[in-house]
Amino acid sequence: MKIIQIILLVALLLLFVGYLRRFRKPVIDKLLVSLLLLSGIVFVIYPELTNRLAHLLGIGRGADLIFYLAILIFGYIVLILYSKINKLENMLIELIRKQSLNSIDLQQQTDA
Amino acid sequence: MKIYVVIPTFNESSVIREVIESVLQFGYRVIVVDDGSFDRTSEIAAELPVILIRHSVNLGQGAALETGMEAARRLNGDFVVHFDGDGQHWASEIQHLLKPLIHGECDIVFGSRFLNGKPVQAGIIKRIVLFAGRWINYALTGLLLSDAHNGFRALNKKALWSVHFEQPGMAHATEILACVQKFSLRYQEIPVHVDYTVYSKRKGQRLSESLTILFHLLFKRN
Repeated sequence: MKIIQIILLVALLLLFVGYLRRFRKPVIDKLLVSLLLLSGIVFVIYPELTNRLAHLLGIGRGADLIFYLAILIFGYIVLILYSKINKLENMLIELIRKQSLNSIDLQQQTDA
Repeated sequence: MKIYVVIPTFNESSVIREVIESVLQFGYRVIVVDDGSFDRTSEIAAELPVILIRHSVNLGQGAALETGMEAARRLNGDFVVHFDGDGQHWASEIQHLLKPLIHGECDIVFGSRFLNGKPVQAGIIKRIVLFAGRWINYALTGLLLSDAHNGFRALNKKALWSVHFEQPGMAHATEILACVQKFSLRYQEIPVHVDYTVYSKRKGQRLSESLTILFHLLFKRN
């Protein structure tokens, strides 16, 4: 086993542990991530598998295939994070609006 | 007939008294929304006979306008006017915007700086941006106004309850058009003046911000 394989395997496992500890996600999410982890482990141990898969899809090298997939996955993650931030921002605005409106007596201020 | 003039402000302490007093002298009820200023804007506004609402943090002009409109809804207002806090609009022109609403000719009136025949004292780049903004609004909402990014407008009760700004920043000019279309509001454009003082220019939007607005419009639509 090459050193890079050990590094990658350890990193993958650490990421997975971090994922399980930090996020309470629905089962389907856990399954998907576990599947991703498994395929990651398989690809690290048998890198020539990615080559064969890449050829099937019309890509020259396995590393390129992984690279393209990584870009797609990261794009997807960015979108999810963006929509979450958006949701949080909307909640914050709603909260501050309610708080600012409720902290004054509108009717009284009008009569004054 | 309850008319509320909503003035969103953010760090406008040097002009806010003047702006508020100019509106008050015409007898309108004023709602000042202080959008988390860290200068004396709130203290100055509190000395005047206005309804003062304070955001504890800065949210953006769209959010401030929405808060002001929500206050007007709670107070059962009949008409609401949007009036910039930096002094670029003329309080004497509020009545021109209200007239078609009071006569029931339309639901919402937009002030336009390009309709009064006089050349507008805006720089060439500003004009290009306004021109582009106009057509982007047309592409997104199907409405072509002569001055899409003028913050001076008036709404009747129907419009007040139909229009809701969900975007906190400067994209409200486009959001309001989307609401006009969605709720089939009748609208008119009325010529108004816009003063480009050194102050309002400095406080005004930078050109790079127009790209931010476009980004928000494209990717933050709910």
